[in-house]
Amino acid sequence: MSNPILQAQNLHKRYEKVHAVQGISFDIQQGEIFSLLGPNGAGKTTTISMLSCLLSATEGDAVIDGHSVRTQADAVKRVIGVVPQEIALYPDLTARENLMFWGKMYSLSGAHLKQRVAETLEIAGLSDRANEKVETYSGGMKRRINIAVGLLHEPKVLFMDEPTVGIDPQSRRRILDTVLELNQRGLTVLYTTHYMEEAAELSRRIGIVDHGKLIALGTQDDLTKLVGESDTVRIGISGVNDTDALLAALTKLSGVDHAALEEDELVLQATNANAHLSQIISAIGAASGQVKSIKVAEPNLEAVFLHLTGRALRD
Amino acid sequence: MKALQIAVKDTLTRFRDWKALAGMFAAPLIISAMIGLAFGDLGGDEAPIENIPVVLVNLDAGELGQAYEDVLTSPDLATLIALETMQDPEAAKARIEAGELRAVIVIPAGFSETVIPDSHGNSGQANVELYTDPTAEISPVIVRSIVERITAAINSTLLAGQVAGQQAAGYAPLLGPAMGQLGAAIGAELQSGNLNLQESLLDLEVVSTGETGESFDPFAFFIPGMAVFFLMFSMFEGSRSILQEERHWTLQRLMSTPTPTWEIILGKMGGTFLTGLLQFTILMLSSTYLFGVSWGTSILGLAILVVLTVFAASGLGAMLTAFSRNENQAGVVGSAVSLVFGALGGSFFPTDGLTGLINIASKLTVNRWAMDGFLALTVNRGGLADIQTPILVLAVVGSVTFVLATLAFQKRFVK
Ligand SMILES: Nc1ncnc2c1ncn2[C@@H]1O[C@H](COP(=O)(O)OP(=O)(O)OP(=O)(O)O)[C@@H](O)[C@H]1O
Ligand SMILES: [Mg+2]
Repeated sequence: MSNPILQAQNLHKRYEKVHAVQGISFDIQQGEIFSLLGPNGAGKTTTISMLSCLLSATEGDAVIDGHSVRTQADAVKRVIGVVPQEIALYPDLTARENLMFWGKMYSLSGAHLKQRVAETLEIAGLSDRANEKVETYSGGMKRRINIAVGLLHEPKVLFMDEPTVGIDPQSRRRILDTVLELNQRGLTVLYTTHYMEEAAELSRRIGIVDHGKLIALGTQDDLTKLVGESDTVRIGISGVNDTDALLAALTKLSGVDHAALEEDELVLQATNANAHLSQIISAIGAASGQVKSIKVAEPNLEAVFLHLTGRALRD
Repeated sequence: MKALQIAVKDTLTRFRDWKALAGMFAAPLIISAMIGLAFGDLGGDEAPIENIPVVLVNLDAGELGQAYEDVLTSPDLATLIALETMQDPEAAKARIEAGELRAVIVIPAGFSETVIPDSHGNSGQANVELYTDPTAEISPVIVRSIVERITAAINSTLLAGQVAGQQAAGYAPLLGPAMGQLGAAIGAELQSGNLNLQESLLDLEVVSTGETGESFDPFAFFIPGMAVFFLMFSMFEGSRSILQEERHWTLQRLMSTPTPTWEIILGKMGGTFLTGLLQFTILMLSSTYLFGVSWGTSILGLAILVVLTVFAASGLGAMLTAFSRNENQAGVVGSAVSLVFGALGGSFFPTDGLTGLINIASKLTVNRWAMDGFLALTVNRGGLADIQTPILVLAVVGSVTFVLATLAFQKRFVK
């Protein structure tokens, strides 16, 4: 079982004013999709940058396929593929020209390079539009080429930093399917996201990061157990003047573990929520609020994050 | 190898950018055309050039040497050139060096004998030598054009005589009237003002005895100036692309590939250099084609000068970028330096008149050294030997800035 292809060991990154990553450690097994889930500014990109030898760690090290990122950067770079959070492509060049160029940077050449470009275009589903300039592409298409570049040299491990940010649901679906398919063919993936559904769908094991720290790590079952049996209740409300008083009143109710407000939606953690709904609704009524909608969900990663940090994942 | 691929990628990208192309090619050519036309007009309005100090060293005992002397001393040219005669060519040339003369014309001994066909119609080749003051720009051109007119007239007279089957002795009667008319013709052009002189210069064929040359035109002053000025702009802009790549994360992506950082930096600087080389070459070719500009006679000198000018300009651009806080600052500083360098360095007006501090400031610019080199080649038709100082200075500036930029970029991007 234990066959880690990547071991991050107590990684730190200190900037002048910010301690962006504060001792993150985790292992990734050969052939798994491992997700780092965390809100904006959690330190996901900084962690990936240290793993891809772009940033030197202030402290700690990582070993990837037997090579240290500190001392064997060149060897590490040959086994990893990187898909940055930004669309790191040349907009004036066509998709094919971009892939040809990046392939050369990975020392590919000749017929092999052409073949890899064709294969990755196929994976991106953009073979028929390969000769158009990237600047004319939609956001989703750019994201797909951004991924294709990371696959050119057939890496053992692929780092994907929020690869679905800012695109439509259809393109996102396509990308998630691609990740699953690549994984089925044996690719190990380190995936970062702030969408808990993506982490939940792709990965068995997930690390939750917040403020530069790994605050939880385990399988989804492990993580949801942290919340206990509590359900997540989302209640759309309006008309409440003193929301702080309402949140305080709600947390005092028996069965309610946490209460937070996300825009005009109350997000509650409650054990056996259905049994307590009437009390909750009357508390809202007492604060002269109106209930617009109610959703009750079984424990999920969102709840875990709320449980661990007292904040919603997307604020 | 990867550095070369990065350089080619950058060059390709630049040549696909319409805005960049407009700045690199359209702007300099249009502005040169406008200045070139304005120059023609200005020439008519301003004080005419008078009393150009010229020495004739006539070592020829024959009628051709006499023909040159007759025309040059004709009353029609008296206001334009202040002619003296001397017998020692070396002493005369020394007076150019001393700044006393603008030009020395040497008719070699035995010139007539060599050039005029003998009874069998055979003739040899000999050249009238013209030495001009390399620091002056306009007066040598005028003297040259006069000498060329005389030479052309002699050539056609000789040709006409040959066709008519004349013997050596028979040329004198032909030459006399031809030369008499010539002095009057040049004089008449001067009477109607400098403008006409300039226009006639444009059309003049440069013909020295026995060989044909090229024609001269006033664009030769301005095209190199504009080419260097806009080269600086595009080199600064090209250099900034490394910071743009950092903003777009393509630089980080490059650094996540197994490519050494120094090779990435070299590739980026090489891309700017390659772009500049193409820009300058295309400007030279298109100005030759559009305006008939002559870039001089020394291809080797020109090639070396262009390469080193681009080297120095791109090195300076890289260094400014490397020491700028961000892309924005690099842009502002780059534009300012391009403008100041252009103004001080002779891209807009000749620098021969500069003295004192301004002249020293001018010599601190890349433009000045490049312009000194180009004018030596284009206007004064010099060779490699005449541009040794400019190419040495440009090579040193290029090398120092490249090294400093590389070190600064390395420090900046390896985190
Ligand atoms: N070069 C830098 N200098 C100083 N602080 C930095 C630097 N880069 C990142 N940080 C800080 O480090 C923290 C972590 O940033 P990071 O980009 O790793 O977060 P992230 O999890 O990737 O966020 P996002 O979801 O927005 O991409 C942030 O507080 C950020 O402001
Ligand atoms: Mg990030």
